[in-house]
Amino acid sequence: MVPLTSHIVINPVAAFGRYSRLLFHAFGAVAEISSYRSNVWRQMVKVGVESLPIVILAATFSGAVSTVQTSYQLVSPLIPRSIVGAIITSSMILELGAVVTGFILAGRVGARIAAELGTMRVTEQIDALETMGLNSVGYLIVPRVIAGVVMFPILYIAACFFGIGGGMLIGELGGFVPFEEFVFGAREYFQPFDPIFGIIKSLVFGFLITSISCFKGYYTQGGAEGVGRATTQAAVASCVFLLLADLLLAVVLL
Amino acid sequence: MKISNEIKVGLTIIVATVIFILGIRYFEDLPLFDSTYDLVAEFENAGGLIGGNIVRVNGVSVGSVTSVYISESTGKVVVEFHVDPTIPVTEGTYATIGGFDALGVVRMDLTLGPASAERIPEGGLVDTRVTSDLMAEMTTRAPAMLTNVDSVLEELEGVMAQANAMVSTPESDIRQILSSARGSMRQIETLLADESNRIARILAHADSLTADLDAALGEDGEAVASLMDQMETTLATLNEDLERFQATNEQLDEILRKLNDGEGTLGLLLNDPSMYHRMDATLSDLNALITDFQRNPGRYLKEMNLVDLF
Repeated sequence: MVPLTSHIVINPVAAFGRYSRLLFHAFGAVAEISSYRSNVWRQMVKVGVESLPIVILAATFSGAVSTVQTSYQLVSPLIPRSIVGAIITSSMILELGAVVTGFILAGRVGARIAAELGTMRVTEQIDALETMGLNSVGYLIVPRVIAGVVMFPILYIAACFFGIGGGMLIGELGGFVPFEEFVFGAREYFQPFDPIFGIIKSLVFGFLITSISCFKGYYTQGGAEGVGRATTQAAVASCVFLLLADLLLAVVLL
Repeated sequence: MKISNEIKVGLTIIVATVIFILGIRYFEDLPLFDSTYDLVAEFENAGGLIGGNIVRVNGVSVGSVTSVYISESTGKVVVEFHVDPTIPVTEGTYATIGGFDALGVVRMDLTLGPASAERIPEGGLVDTRVTSDLMAEMTTRAPAMLTNVDSVLEELEGVMAQANAMVSTPESDIRQILSSARGSMRQIETLLADESNRIARILAHADSLTADLDAALGEDGEAVASLMDQMETTLATLNEDLERFQATNEQLDEILRKLNDGEGTLGLLLNDPSMYHRMDATLSDLNALITDFQRNPGRYLKEMNLVDLF
């Protein structure tokens, strides 16, 4: 009974406590960020710029596939074809843009961060940093989280741009929805708050993915196997909390 | 040249921000770089209008609705919208809400004021008018219409029941008519079956006849034409003859009329009985004379000498 309770209740609560403490440290170290400026730029390139191709690819295809499938489903003569444009644009801006990017980043960036920090932990490089008097949280975690928070909205914008563009392109070339009708529908139902909501979402997702991955990596235990476990856990936990945050934000803000 | 991380990041962020701002303006149907011309309209009923709906002038999309909310002070619906700055929204312009709410395609239509009037300033209030909403009209009229439909249906039901009774009773007229029609049809059918060979033959003959006629018409088109000409002249001659005949007829009529009226010798002959009477008397006298002669020839012959005679 006791191990079960500890597994279900105590461990997650303890993990959350450690996560909060780490974040607390990190916020304390934000003041020292000027010392680690070059590290911030490097992380921004790794998290943001280098993720652009895969995000663009995934977004373009999801936009194109959504367009084809939505046109396939909307066969009622009562529903104008321009609705496809409205659906693709809204779903890209509100949901797909941020979530597709989030999942890709959870896998690509989250796993990388956890593996990097985990290896540093098990090879005692983090202890070495501390010994040299460097703030390891400030040096390792803060640049990554900042990079995530800043670059994720950029990736989200790219995802929306290429997702909607892919939808328009396949709609026009494939003969599903002409470009003009697509844009007409998109404009008909466009709400100026939608992209703002998407940006808010992507800020939260960026923060969650990078901070959870840093947390998993920073507290890695048990050698190479531990690094593997931390990497997996980082990717999975990032996805789970990303979905929870997605739901929570939708309920609160829409 | 090695591009530094700062440049990579900065460039990415700048490009993304530009795309973000232009993208929002594009989907809001705002001009990408120009400023916009914002206006306000107040309605009693928004009729399903929402932010993002299209604003049209003479059926052309010129802008979109920014936001729709209910004013706290007046309780009216305030519609904020923007249009293309080149559109002359002058005083006297009014806005109406159109489209089909049930399908979600509501729009705002602007009817522009006279071009000579002054332009409504930025953020100014545009007059509104209420148009008849098709859906609302249908909704208000539907109950009365449904009652009518109901009564019609009831009557129809009665009629149908009567018709049903008519058809289902065996001694009804319709049944009899139908059965006799059926009998007739059967007879016709047997007739057709029996005579099908002959009908086929007749048809074949008719066919060949038509074909011959066709050929004759096709080949001897000129002959037919000359024939027609001759017929025409003949008819014309006939016509003249008939006219002459008519004149003759009239003369004859005149003669007959004279005869009837007893004019002229012939007329008197026909109509005056006195001649007849005189002739009758003369003949009877002659008769008496001949009778007397036969009876007493001597009286007449005593004076006559045979020798003298021969």
